[in-house]
Amino acid sequence: MSQVLEQKTVEKATVFKKSQSGLRKYLSKFGTLLALFLLFVFFSLTSEKFFTVDNLMNIVNQASINALLSLGMLLAILTAGIDLSVGSMLALSSMLMAVVTVNLGMHPILGLITSLGVGTIFGLVNGLLLTKLHLPHPFITTLGTQFIGRGLALIVTGAAPIAGLPLLIQFFGTAEIGPIPFSFLLVLVVYLFMHTFLSNTKTGRHIYAVGGNKEAARLSGINVDRVLITVYTISGLMAGLGGIIMAGRVNSAFPLAGLQYETDAIAAVIIGGASFFGGVGTVWGTAIGVMIIAVLRNGLNLLNVSADLQMAVIGAVIIGAVYVDVLRQRKRKKNKN
Amino acid sequence: MWKKFKLLGVMLATSLLFLSACNGGTETNNGSNSKNKSEVNISVVLKTLSTPHWKYVEAGAKDAGKKLGVNVTVVGPPSESEVMQQVNMIEDQLSQAPNGIAVAPIQAATVISALSGKNLPMLTIDTDSDFEGKLSYIGSDNYSVGKTAAELLIKKLNKGDKVAIIIGALGNPAIDERAKGAREAFKAAGIEVVAEQPADSDKAKAMSVMENILQTHRDIKAVYVGSDDMAIGALRAIKAAGLDIMVVGTDGNEEAVKSIIEGGLYGTIAQKPYDMGYLAVENLLKAINGEKIEPRIDSGLDIVTSENAEEFLEFLKSLEK
Repeated sequence: MSQVLEQKTVEKATVFKKSQSGLRKYLSKFGTLLALFLLFVFFSLTSEKFFTVDNLMNIVNQASINALLSLGMLLAILTAGIDLSVGSMLALSSMLMAVVTVNLGMHPILGLITSLGVGTIFGLVNGLLLTKLHLPHPFITTLGTQFIGRGLALIVTGAAPIAGLPLLIQFFGTAEIGPIPFSFLLVLVVYLFMHTFLSNTKTGRHIYAVGGNKEAARLSGINVDRVLITVYTISGLMAGLGGIIMAGRVNSAFPLAGLQYETDAIAAVIIGGASFFGGVGTVWGTAIGVMIIAVLRNGLNLLNVSADLQMAVIGAVIIGAVYVDVLRQRKRKKNKN
Repeated sequence: MWKKFKLLGVMLATSLLFLSACNGGTETNNGSNSKNKSEVNISVVLKTLSTPHWKYVEAGAKDAGKKLGVNVTVVGPPSESEVMQQVNMIEDQLSQAPNGIAVAPIQAATVISALSGKNLPMLTIDTDSDFEGKLSYIGSDNYSVGKTAAELLIKKLNKGDKVAIIIGALGNPAIDERAKGAREAFKAAGIEVVAEQPADSDKAKAMSVMENILQTHRDIKAVYVGSDDMAIGALRAIKAAGLDIMVVGTDGNEEAVKSIIEGGLYGTIAQKPYDMGYLAVENLLKAINGEKIEPRIDSGLDIVTSENAEEFLEFLKSLEK
């Protein structure tokens, strides 16, 4: 805990030093928000269809799956870890949900429970592998489980997709309240909840502490293993929820769902200002990161920029954001000395 | 911290500049196409634009656009596994209110909710999907692809000869149909299929699958392979074993056609991707103008052997320009 306090004082000192230039402080704090705003302005000017209610609702709808995966990723990255298995967890949970509801004909509520449950258990296994087997880094653990999850998702039906899900599940992906997609409202609630969890609960503060300095956290009496297990379990739960929304949107579950979705989630979290070094990052920053990626993809689609070029653009944005993180980190060290 | 903002600014400015350049490109393109005063916009969403097959579809659609004086936008995700990105692309195209849309669904079921009941002429190409408001499906029949390939081989085979079939990933309905067409044609001609194995549409995998088949069946006379990539892999295994076995592939891509010219593959069955793209735009325009179109349009097949391979290669090269 003392480590956290120390870090906070350091941050306060930095803020104090900077307070003579209010504008700069403001700009740096809201840099990503400004970037998002500029993207909005740019696409509104270049495509007349961009700034319409329909399209904006399109964007938040398309962003909802990545928004959920990114929250799990944020928690992992806050503890200086990573969760590469989010896409596989999403695929496996949605496949098993489809098996339960379509192939076995069980009640849709059981299907929802299956998806959330499979995600949660998968995440729990990630956490247990990491802490109990003492594997060196979550990168390795979750890389392994990424393959396991994908393999299982393919095995379930011999690679065939399952279509024709119950209406209740479709509701999660397609329902609209007025012009607003239900999935977006659901994501908003989850974000509010997660924000409260991270900033107002003991476990939330412990997550930051573990990421700031694992040894210090352990010495100050935090059960680091339990924190890590909680983090990866929540990430699994988010993937399970994402699986429901995805399957609901396209009315089918397929084993290649969520392939490489971890990259978008990592990108959103890092663009949103979280640090790969752990301990730094917020839920709202991640929300902005998610929106930046979604707006980029949608806007580039509207401008008919080829998918290949889109990949290059998003790659450049990721590298830029990580570089900003490195600079920030350097600055922090300088201030400490 | 100031640095951070500056960097973000530079990042954004560069990407925006980059984009305006791209956007500028699109605009001039539209300008040259819009000689026709009645502005018709047609969107074509493919499985991907990154493989030869889909490049040919794209070329066909764009050529039709030029010839018929309509704006054609062709888009597709970076790979054929990006199911959700394709759905997003369909939605993004629809939000630009095109006059008609053609879609090649990566998976038949996933595009249904995005397209169902939309109020514009819609059709599917290459792979069919059933949604409300679909006017037509343009494609070749996968069963007859397999059947045609088998018949090509049967001409060179005798009753009682042994053959093998290598297909793509299990559970891919298009390739399952090809295998079925070939299997039934072989059976009808009294030719024995001694092995039928999947190789996941992967060249290297097809090579090891072929090696395994040759371990037990060195006496096979011919192989039908569900894609050209896999056919090339299988052929490599056959050459390495020093055997002379006829291989017929599917797709008609450049590498396969060159192999036919060099005496490698015996032949390939080409679906006509260029025609698929062309017919899609042509028929959408008909529908936009209120004409009725056929609910099932066969885009036909090309049989490529050493007799016409040179000619076919020239055609492929002309599409790349």
